[in-house]
Amino acid sequence: MTTQTKAEAKTSGMPEGEELRRQIQQRKNRGQIWFSLFQLSLIIAIIALIILLSNIINQTFGLSAVENKIDPESLVQAAFEKTIVGRTDTTTSEDDATLSQSIAANPNAIGFLGYAYYREKADALRVLAVENVEPTEETVTDNSYPLSRPLFVYTSQETLKEKPQAAEFLNYYLDTVDSVIGEVGYFPVDQATLDAARATLAAATAAGDSEGEDNPIAISGSSTVYPLTAAIVESFQAAGYPGAITLESVGTKAGYAALCADRTADIANASRRMTRQEAAACSKNRRTPVEIQVGADALALVVSQENDWAQDLTLNEIQKLFTVAQNWSDVREGWPDEPIERFIPSLESGTLDFFVEKVYVDSYPLEEMPAASLKAMLLANISTGRARALEAQQPFDERNQAQMLELVRTEVVQPRVVASWNALPSLFNRSEIEARTLDDNPEAELHWKSWLSWEFLTSTQSSVPEYAGIRTAFLGTLWVMAIVILFSVPVGVGAAIYLEEYSKHGRINDILQTNIDNLAGVPSIIYGILGLTIFVRVLEPITSGKAFGLADPTTANGRTILAAGLTLGLLVLPIIIINAQEAIRAVPQAYREAGYGMGGTRWQVIRSHVLPSALPGILTGTILGISRAIGETAPVVVIGASTFITVDPNGPFSKFTVLPMQIFQWTTRPQPEFRHIAAAASIVLLILMFTLNGTAIYMRNRYSRK
Amino acid sequence: MTRQEQLIDTIPENPQAKSGDQAVITAENLNVYYGNFHAVRDVNLHIAPRKITAFIGPSGCGKSTVLRCFNRMNDLIPIARVKGEVRFEGRNIYDPNVDPVEVRRRIGMVFQKPNPFPKSIYDNIAWGARINGYRGNMDELVEESLRGAALWKEVKDKLKQNAYGLSGGQQQRLCIARAIATKPEIILMDEPCSALDPIATLAIEDLMKEMVEKYAIIIVTHNMQQAARVSDFTAFYNVDEGRTGELAEFGPTKQLFTKPRQKATEDYITGRFG
Ligand SMILES: Nc1ncnc2c1ncn2[C@@H]1O[C@H](COP(=O)(O)OP(=O)(O)OP(=O)(O)O)[C@@H](O)[C@H]1O
Ligand SMILES: [Mg+2]
Repeated sequence: MTTQTKAEAKTSGMPEGEELRRQIQQRKNRGQIWFSLFQLSLIIAIIALIILLSNIINQTFGLSAVENKIDPESLVQAAFEKTIVGRTDTTTSEDDATLSQSIAANPNAIGFLGYAYYREKADALRVLAVENVEPTEETVTDNSYPLSRPLFVYTSQETLKEKPQAAEFLNYYLDTVDSVIGEVGYFPVDQATLDAARATLAAATAAGDSEGEDNPIAISGSSTVYPLTAAIVESFQAAGYPGAITLESVGTKAGYAALCADRTADIANASRRMTRQEAAACSKNRRTPVEIQVGADALALVVSQENDWAQDLTLNEIQKLFTVAQNWSDVREGWPDEPIERFIPSLESGTLDFFVEKVYVDSYPLEEMPAASLKAMLLANISTGRARALEAQQPFDERNQAQMLELVRTEVVQPRVVASWNALPSLFNRSEIEARTLDDNPEAELHWKSWLSWEFLTSTQSSVPEYAGIRTAFLGTLWVMAIVILFSVPVGVGAAIYLEEYSKHGRINDILQTNIDNLAGVPSIIYGILGLTIFVRVLEPITSGKAFGLADPTTANGRTILAAGLTLGLLVLPIIIINAQEAIRAVPQAYREAGYGMGGTRWQVIRSHVLPSALPGILTGTILGISRAIGETAPVVVIGASTFITVDPNGPFSKFTVLPMQIFQWTTRPQPEFRHIAAAASIVLLILMFTLNGTAIYMRNRYSRK
Repeated sequence: MTRQEQLIDTIPENPQAKSGDQAVITAENLNVYYGNFHAVRDVNLHIAPRKITAFIGPSGCGKSTVLRCFNRMNDLIPIARVKGEVRFEGRNIYDPNVDPVEVRRRIGMVFQKPNPFPKSIYDNIAWGARINGYRGNMDELVEESLRGAALWKEVKDKLKQNAYGLSGGQQQRLCIARAIATKPEIILMDEPCSALDPIATLAIEDLMKEMVEKYAIIIVTHNMQQAARVSDFTAFYNVDEGRTGELAEFGPTKQLFTKPRQKATEDYITGRFG
C-alpha cells in the first residue's frame, strides 16, 4: 500500500471514484477467469461424452464382407433341377434332335430347346409365346422376351496390347457376326451395341509391343457361343489369316478361369456376364476384362403342331408346368384333361441350367422355399451324422419354414463375416474397402451391417460373432435389476426414514451414519467378495432355491440371479440411503410441525408429508443406484456369473449372465468382429439404462409438479 | 399525547378480565432448556377460556418456547427439555401417560410463517380431520372451517388448487382454517401476522375476535398495537442480563398497558427497551 492510499483510507476506508471503478473492474476480471474455466470444464465434459457415444456407434455399424460357403442361388437352382428332372413324366435327352422328334410326335408333349434347334425343326414344332412375347429377332435383342440371354466374348486389355492378332480377330468378329449369326440360330445385336464394342476395342488396342505376334489365338469357354465363334474363325481363316487359332468348348465358368486365373486363353466365350468375383480374379492376375456382346440366345418353349390349345404361357404357368402340374388342365383352366409329357435337355447341358435360372431362381429366393425343399437342400449338403444330430435335437418335420431356413443358412450356406470395418472408414473409404475386399476375399460380398439388430437382441451367446446375441444377458440384467430394485429401494428408504425421522440423535446413530457414508465408497470388488461369501456360500440353500424345493439339489448352486441381485443391492444400498436421507432432511421442518400440530402421529406425518416431498430426491438416489448397479462387472464376475450360457433365465434361482459381463467377455476375444458386438451390446446397455432412468425422471417430475 | 397514552386509548374496556378465573390451561414452574441453555425460567401462567392472551417481549426472550410448551411442540426439538407442569383439564400434559398426539389435536397451532402443505386447499383442511378419524361430511367441514377463517368466499371455486397458489395472507388464513378444522379447544398463534400486510393483519385480527367466542387463543406478537387491540390478557417476558425467559408481568391487557407494575414492562411498551 502506498502512503497516498493510506491517506485516502483514512477518509472513507473504501476506494472511491476512479479507483472504485478500477477496483470493480479488477474483481470482474478475476471472476471472468473462473467463468472461462467453468465453461472449459463443460466443454471437456461434452466432448468426452460425444467421443464415448460416437466411438460406440462407430463400432456398431459399418461394412462387412460376407462370404457364403455355398451360394444360396445355386441351392435353389439345384433343388429345382432335381425336382424337374426327377418327375417320372419328364424325359431328358442330351440329343436335341431326339427331343424335337419326341415333341413333334406327341400332341400332349411340351419341351424347351435352344432357339437354333427349334429353327431346324420349325416345320414340326410350334413355339409358344412367354408372357405374351414371341421369341423374334426383335424381342430377343431388346430383351423383352423373358427366356433370352446375351452372348459375349471376353478378352482383356492386356491381351489386346500384347496380341494385336487377337484384336484383329475380334474386329473381324464384330464386322461379320451379324451375317453369320442367323445361320447359327442365334439373334443379332443391334448396330449401336456393335459400334460401342468397336470403340472399346479401339481404345484398348493402343499401339503396344506386339511380342506374341506369332503365337496362336487361344479361345475357350461357353458351349453355347462355341458354334458362333467357330463359324467366324472359319471365315476369318478363309479370309486369309495365316496364324493358328485354337478353340475349345469348356463352359462359361472354365472359360473365364482360362482367361484370367490361368491366362491360357486370349478370348473367352460366355453365355452370361462375368460376376464381380470373376472380374476380381482377373484384376488380381493383372488382366482387365473387356466385354463384347456379340448376340443373344433364346430358349424356345415348343409343342407339337398337333397341339391345338396352347398358344402362350405366363412365367407362373411355366413354373407349374414343369413341377407340380399333372395334366394340361392344371396349368390353365379350359385346357384338356390330358397328362403333360415333358421332353427337356439333360442336366449336363447348359440349357436346363439357363431355363431353371430364368424361370425359377429369379422368382424363388431361398427365403421363400417351402420347408420340404429346404429339408431336401439341407440333407443333400450335410453329412448323415450331422443330419442325425440335428434330427435328434428336433425332428425336421416338426420345424417350421423359418427354422428350416435358419438351418440351411447356418449348416449349408454358412455366411461368414470375413472382414469388417467401422462406420467412419466405411463411409469415407468405401472404394478402398471395396478394392481390398476384391483382393483379399473375392468371393465375399460387402454389406452395410448393423451389428445391433433384432437377431442380435434375440439370439443367445455363440462363439461365432455374427450369430452371437445378447438375449440371455439382457434378460439376466432385467432380472438382476428387478431384484436390486426390490431389495435396495425399500430397505434403503426404510433405513433412511429410520435414521432421519426416528433416531435423530445419539451415539449409535452417528456411528451408523459414518459407516454408511464410508460404505458408499467401498470398491465394488469387495462387495463381490462379500456376495460370494454370504450369498453364494453361506446362504446357498436360499439363493440356490434348494430350501424352497425350487431347484434340483444335486446341480443347483448359489451363483444365481438372486445372489447377484442381493450383492448389487448391497452395493447400491448406501447410495440410496444417503440420497434418501438428504431428500428427507430437505423437507421443510414447517411441514412436519404443521402435521404434528394438527395431531398427526409420526407415521402419518411421514407418510403424508415427508415422503411425498422427499420422493423426487429419493428417486434421484434410486436412479444413481440403479445406474451404478446396471453397469457393474467386477462383483458379478466374483460371484460367478456364467461365462457361456444360452438358457434364458426364468426366475431368481436361474444361472445367468448380465450385459456388462457379456461386453467384458467379448472385448477379450481376439476376433475383431467381437468388438462390433461388444459395442452393439454397449448401446443396448446404455439404452436400457436411459430407459430406467427416464422412467425414474418421469416419475420424479410427476411427483414434484405439485 | 404520549405514545403510551395513544396505545391505551385503543384498549377495549374489559371488566371481567381478571387472571386466575377458571383457567383452561396453566403453566406451573415451567422451565425449558435447550441443551444446557436455560431458555424459560419458572413461568407460572393461567390462560382464561374464550379469551385472547398475548405474549409480548423482546426477541429471544422465550415467547415461542413457552407457547410451544402448550401443545408439546418442543418434543420435536431433540435437545429441548421441559421441566415443570402444563395443566390442561387438570392433567399435566407432560405426564408420561399423556399422548402428545391427543394434546396437539385438542390444542391447535398456527405458525409464524404460513406453512400450508403442498397439497390442494381442500386436502390441507381435510387431512387433519381425516387422520383424526373425523366421521362427518368432509365437504361440510371444509366449508365450515374456511368460513370460520373468513376464506371461503375467496377460495370456494378453487378448492382443488394447490395451496401455494394463494397469497401469503390467504395462506395464513388457510392455516387457521386447517387448525380449527380439528376442533381444538385452544389455538396457539406464533406471530401469525408477521409476514402479512396491514390489511391482511386486520382481517386476521377480526377473525381472532370472532374465533374467541369458541376457543381460547394465545398469540405471540411483536406488535404492541396488535396486543393492545385484540388481547384480553398480556404476558410480558423479559431478557435481563442474559437471563432469558422470565415472565416479568402478566395481567389484564388494559392494566398492563396503563399501570405496569414493572419498570421493564413500562420501558418495553413505551419503546424505551434496549
Ligand atoms: N431449537 C433451539 N435450539 C437452541 N436454542 C433455541 C432453540 N430455539 C430457541 N432457542 C433459544 O431459546 C431462547 C428463546 O427463544 P424463542 O424462540 O422462544 O424466542 P422468542 O421470544 O420467540 O423470540 P422471537 O421474538 O425472536 O421469535 C433464545 O435465546 C433462542 O436462542
Ligand atoms: Mg418466536
